[in-house]
Amino acid sequence: MGIFAFDEVWNVSRFTYYGLVALQHRGQSTAGLSLLSRIGISTKAERIRVEDMDVEGLEGWASVGFTGVRDVYPVDNGSVSIAIDGRTAADPLTVGEMVFSDPRAAVEVLGDYSSFIALSRSGKIAAYRSRLGLQPLVIGGFGFDMGIVASEPVALDVMGGEFRREIEPGEMVFIDKYGVESLRVKAPLESYCAIEYIYQARLDSKVNGSSIYEIRIKIGERLAKERPIMGDTVIGVPETALPFAVGYARALGLDLDLGFVRTGTPQRTMILADQFMKLVGVQLKLNPIRSAVRGKRIILIDDSMVTGNTLKNTVFNLRNAGAKEVHVLIGSPKIVSGCPFGVEIPDESELIAANLPEDKISAMIGCDSIAWLSLEGLTEVIGHRKLCTGCMTRIYPKGGDSH
Amino acid sequence: MRSERSYRVYAFSSYRNPGIDEIVRSTGGSYHIGDVNSPEEVKQVVGQVSPDLVVIGPEEPLFRGVSDAVRELGVPVLGASSKCSMVERSKVWMRELMWKYSIPGRLRFRGFRSVEEAASFISEYGASVAVKPAEQVGGKGVKVAADLQAYLTQEKRSALSKGVKEVASLIKEGYKVIIEERVFGPEYTLHVITDGKSHLALPLAQDYKHAYANGIGPETGGMGSISGPGMLLPFINEEEFMGTFEIVKATTDAIKRETGEEYSGILAGQMMLTTLWGPTVIEYYSRLGDPEASAILPRIDGDLGELFEYAATGRLSRVSLAVNEERSVVWALAPRGYPLNRAMASGHRVSMDLSKMREIGCRVYFGSISLEGMSLVTRGSRALEIEAEGDDAVEKLERCVSLVSSEVKLIYRPEIGRNLEEQVRLSESVRYAYKLRERNNTLGVSVNWSPKSGEF
Repeated sequence: MGIFAFDEVWNVSRFTYYGLVALQHRGQSTAGLSLLSRIGISTKAERIRVEDMDVEGLEGWASVGFTGVRDVYPVDNGSVSIAIDGRTAADPLTVGEMVFSDPRAAVEVLGDYSSFIALSRSGKIAAYRSRLGLQPLVIGGFGFDMGIVASEPVALDVMGGEFRREIEPGEMVFIDKYGVESLRVKAPLESYCAIEYIYQARLDSKVNGSSIYEIRIKIGERLAKERPIMGDTVIGVPETALPFAVGYARALGLDLDLGFVRTGTPQRTMILADQFMKLVGVQLKLNPIRSAVRGKRIILIDDSMVTGNTLKNTVFNLRNAGAKEVHVLIGSPKIVSGCPFGVEIPDESELIAANLPEDKISAMIGCDSIAWLSLEGLTEVIGHRKLCTGCMTRIYPKGGDSH
Repeated sequence: MRSERSYRVYAFSSYRNPGIDEIVRSTGGSYHIGDVNSPEEVKQVVGQVSPDLVVIGPEEPLFRGVSDAVRELGVPVLGASSKCSMVERSKVWMRELMWKYSIPGRLRFRGFRSVEEAASFISEYGASVAVKPAEQVGGKGVKVAADLQAYLTQEKRSALSKGVKEVASLIKEGYKVIIEERVFGPEYTLHVITDGKSHLALPLAQDYKHAYANGIGPETGGMGSISGPGMLLPFINEEEFMGTFEIVKATTDAIKRETGEEYSGILAGQMMLTTLWGPTVIEYYSRLGDPEASAILPRIDGDLGELFEYAATGRLSRVSLAVNEERSVVWALAPRGYPLNRAMASGHRVSMDLSKMREIGCRVYFGSISLEGMSLVTRGSRALEIEAEGDDAVEKLERCVSLVSSEVKLIYRPEIGRNLEEQVRLSESVRYAYKLRERNNTLGVSVNWSPKSGEF
């Protein structure tokens, strides 16, 4: 995200911090921010959870901030600071240097698969959204005082700002003291990331014109249509799969239960890069509520399946807590391929759905039945086909030259 | 706006405005340059011209007693007296009036004579408050911080306190700062023309305060406006319109009782539809609002000169208003640098294909731009306002903007007139909430509390 205050009385460091905290579901292994003040650009970026980042004493009236999984951003060279969302072969600072003098050339260097926010020492923010629209990006303000760009509107919500609109794929927005300008750099080739809808974006966000909450409820309803199971109760794996469970139970008139209590902070297990933590993580975090599951035929809904190990643990714990039957439903189509664009999905060799047939997966998970949302179901729920479903189909969108 | 009568228009202004100049020339009047805020100078010009009617545009001459001076000469004048224009000049006076006469749509407030007092009040009531200069200072210095959410309080409070100092430095005496409870909802303006006895409501309008595209950036006098269709706006209904009209009428009555003077001129309520009251007064103008007037006046069918004259001579009850149903949209064009850096925004040449713009169906109003020799030169504020009507108003405006060229980049808000759905949705939820209050008899009931100072 990036913040520009029109009056230098503002210190935006904590605004940036809380905005990033609201975006930490997008990745929380690295965090950083650059601030522009009278002494120039100063940057702090570490392999640290954003909440643990110390911004005490940092000052400036404009900023770029980042929270991520692997990449450490922003990077600065004294005259410009930049944070890139997604993958690019380009040197980030080269892109950052070019964007304020020749934005089109900067985007040529960047390529078609990533988005960025850059801040110049002379006092200007440039925010670009990839022409494929793979990464979300929005613009808004804070009273008469600040212009703000962020991956999701929730970053604006938490700081009391006002969401204005999404930045279009291929559009660049400039904010400085004397204006907000929009530049159409590339014709859009809309190919929105399907994972944003399923679990990446925050539940209270709006992405690509759609309310994420509404879409996830509808995914649950769609699952109920595709795979109705008349069990005793529906349980969603917290936090992401809860709306799927709500939609599913509502559609079939089944009970809905809260099956787990979380220990520790609600970080996405899949985003934790550490393999060991992934394994022990789930036991540590999701403790079944015995009285909610004992003696029941349970429909357990999760948002996705990667290696299957988390789910195996979850099912094991449910049975251990007295569940009679456990039927697993996954709120996404099978994930069978990695993401070359920077969404944290392991390589194909680590993806169970790419390597084992369904009966084997069911046996490995230890459930009584298993089903995934169909690809058709997903596109119908989202309401259009301008989607990147590469991790489900192995068909990836291509940038400019091949279209 | 068309007139059957033939008028001769004279102008008195601090600089030569090209649009007014054109009208003056075409009607055979004369253009006078001088200090419009000086009652003496205005009297002199009136003496030379001996007009049948004087219309005062801006608020500052009203505050300085220019309308009183003209009235003394026995010349009809459209413009509130100095005493009556207090309703615009002092927000504390206006709020006290609303509370004294129990006028609906009033907000709780407190006026502060010292910056320190105000700053400590702000940090004590960490809840939502709006900070404004207590006196009208040309729209400058208003800093309304959004919700002071607990975890951000320190940053916002310290910036707010800095803001208070900045705001207060603009004011000379008396109340420096007014702090009000903060409300939200769609904003709109109702202009009422009155001769003190009769009141005539003009169509509603909405103006857009943020300087930059997408509704971002510092506060301005207004970067554009919309009016209509009909008397309303898509997000304000007939009942709310009438309720607002009643509020403005009640205010002119209260001003009369308070000052002993008839309110004769224009009173414009800058309103917000809130969950607290429904129609709620944010502030008053004692004149036509700009750029609202640019959206409203072209929609009035009939003779504006006659309307103004009847209002100025106490015969307004004879007038009825016919309004063009079609909506209008106004975009203001300002030189880059406005509003934060006047020097940067001044002194740049601008040119345009005026006849082609008129062919397209747009009206062009000249604002802060002067005719110097043969060139139009920016003066640091909003240079042009372009107005168009109909469903395709925005498309017409786009074509017109492309016919303007300038030495300096011109900023404007291309989204004005588009996408009103969000405001319609907002008004629906606000309407539900204040209607519920109405049924529960809790309209306008609210309170702030702090452990140290108790209720505010």
